[in-house]
Amino acid sequence: MKNNRFRDIITVTKFTMRDLISRKSFRVSTILILILIIAGFNVPNIMDSLTGGDYNDTILISDPENLYDNKLETLNQSELGYNFTFDPISYDEIKAKIDDGSINAAVMIGKAENTVNFTYIVSNAATIMSSPTTLIDALSSLYTNVQIQKLDLTASQLASVTPTFTTEVKQTEDQEIGGNINVMMLMSVLLFFAVYFCAYQVSSSITIEKTSKIMETLVTSTSPRTIILGKTIGIGIVGLLQMLLFVITAIISAKLFLNPEILSHLLDLSNFTFYLAAITIIYFILGYFAYALLYALVGSTVAKPEDIQSANMPVAIVTMIGFYLAYFTLMDPTGQLAGIAALLPISSPFCMPLRVMMGIATGWEVVISIVILLIFCALVAKIAIKIYSNAILNYGTRMTIADMIKSYKEK
Amino acid sequence: MTGLILKDVSKTFGGKTVVDKISLTLDKPGVYGLLGTNGAGKTTTIRMLLGIITKDSGEITWNDQPVDRKTVNFGYLPEERGVYPKVKIFDQLMYFAELKGMEKADATASIQKWAKRLKVEDYMPMLAEKLSKGNQQKIQFMTAVIHDPDLVVLDEPFSGLDPVNTDLLKNIIIDLVKNGKFVIMSAHQMATIEEFCTDILIMNKGKTVLKGNLKAIKSTYPANRAEVDVDVDIKNYIQDANLEIEHERNHQYTLKVQDEQNARKLLQKLVEAKINVNRFEILKPTLNDIFIEKVGAANEK
Repeated sequence: MKNNRFRDIITVTKFTMRDLISRKSFRVSTILILILIIAGFNVPNIMDSLTGGDYNDTILISDPENLYDNKLETLNQSELGYNFTFDPISYDEIKAKIDDGSINAAVMIGKAENTVNFTYIVSNAATIMSSPTTLIDALSSLYTNVQIQKLDLTASQLASVTPTFTTEVKQTEDQEIGGNINVMMLMSVLLFFAVYFCAYQVSSSITIEKTSKIMETLVTSTSPRTIILGKTIGIGIVGLLQMLLFVITAIISAKLFLNPEILSHLLDLSNFTFYLAAITIIYFILGYFAYALLYALVGSTVAKPEDIQSANMPVAIVTMIGFYLAYFTLMDPTGQLAGIAALLPISSPFCMPLRVMMGIATGWEVVISIVILLIFCALVAKIAIKIYSNAILNYGTRMTIADMIKSYKEK
Repeated sequence: MTGLILKDVSKTFGGKTVVDKISLTLDKPGVYGLLGTNGAGKTTTIRMLLGIITKDSGEITWNDQPVDRKTVNFGYLPEERGVYPKVKIFDQLMYFAELKGMEKADATASIQKWAKRLKVEDYMPMLAEKLSKGNQQKIQFMTAVIHDPDLVVLDEPFSGLDPVNTDLLKNIIIDLVKNGKFVIMSAHQMATIEEFCTDILIMNKGKTVLKGNLKAIKSTYPANRAEVDVDVDIKNYIQDANLEIEHERNHQYTLKVQDEQNARKLLQKLVEAKINVNRFEILKPTLNDIFIEKVGAANEK
């Protein structure tokens, strides 16, 4: 009956996975998140059903003084995203139409001396963030055109006062940045959620064994290294599978319930290459395991379930820092902070895939960052195993940092 | 086969020596009893023996090899009882059997065999948290023996068990020895140790106060008690024989004996007086007496 370390790691991994999946809390939370994902993609449909399906975005334009010379209907040719209806009615009549739901909002146009006044009318001003700028701009522009046409100018005069405006963005830096910001942020958010909602299970799994006093039986059956690695891998696989389930559900829901145009606009995967996919997966897995091992380390320092939350807190804060550094990378991709964040092991899993997607990370930067991350994982695993081994019989209070250092130095 | 040898094993926690140069040898199948008051160092000695905590000095060997999880096939029932509360009994037994290197089929057969022997077959598909403490303890005992270990270490195996289950476990331990297993056992119940153990080591405050073959130890002690069962009051005879009554009930006397000759004299007088003697027994000290005497003497120093 020889012990085989690899076989033991697989045994611990399988047991940990089965234990985690059979927990009611895990199943309930997974089902709840799946429901939330499906519901999230159905928000427009839910809104429709709540409003009886007659929700509309019709805006009535009222021009009682005919300032637009009956040219308002040209607004229909613009792509402002509204349904327009034109009727020169009074405020009271508009109010009645808003109340009965036949229109959503209205713009009343009036003039006093040299001022053209647009009154934006909605059922409750608190429900809107601001007046519709694009619509007001379109109305202003149309008014100017109508007035110019009244001047009876020649075609060339008309062309000179109403030129076509074009805008071009030009950057001073040589580095061009590509990629879709939504896809980039989604990857970081997914990793953050995986770490935040699943990796912490490593620490609670270790503490549960201490609480149930099974540690002595366990450590006389296999090595602390096998336990730590098996647990981390087991919880890691379950976490990744859970995340995959969420992603697949989200994709299917998006395909089923979302307008394809909106979807392709939100998630443009056109420049998502094989290389980028590989980098994303590598960083996702390494990042996830780095954090899971950090949770294993803090889990080794506690003995009571009530201490887990406070022990997990520093890792949760570090996760947030890593996540926010990814946000800063998006805001200032070529800045010094983004460069450092892509190498720091706590933030590189969040940041480096973004830099690769933007096309600003060199191959060497990626290699160095992965090596640093691997060394970090090995170092955290080593410390976690050492502290776990020396704190097996710590059934008392939570270890302080000084205790941890002392425990690490012990034989 | 040289068996298990502990030589001058010591351990200090925070400047306090909790195990001080403990030595013991178990060179043939049998049960070695570790005795001591609470905090005497028994569990620490066991934990060092199994490598759960490292020893500061000394040697621990099994067949001349340092004791290690990989070199010794041992089973362990810790003092701190523990099971996975939310895991089915069969699954956790299989988990430990696999970690001990067993194949699934062998492990299943072994689990079934031990479950039957310990009368816990019905609990196999249940979650551990649904079981009583006594049954959880039997499950943990199964984890210690399921893989057929050569060395079995049992830390307080009978604490918390009812008389029926205590008896069941006793018979299993006897069978383990019959099957050539080496058993190290710590216990508070002196009668139990006396029943099983070939050798004992009494510890107090980390030090050895008495060690050796139980029979040999007991033979060095003179008789200290006599039990007499008669039909009449014999207090005068007892007084005349210079004996002291320790306990008396319905003419059944337990007497303190300083000199065995006085007890024999009493019997002679009773026979001469034609008193009907139902039972007369001169007793050697029990392990409990020896333990109290040794530990008490050590604490007085």
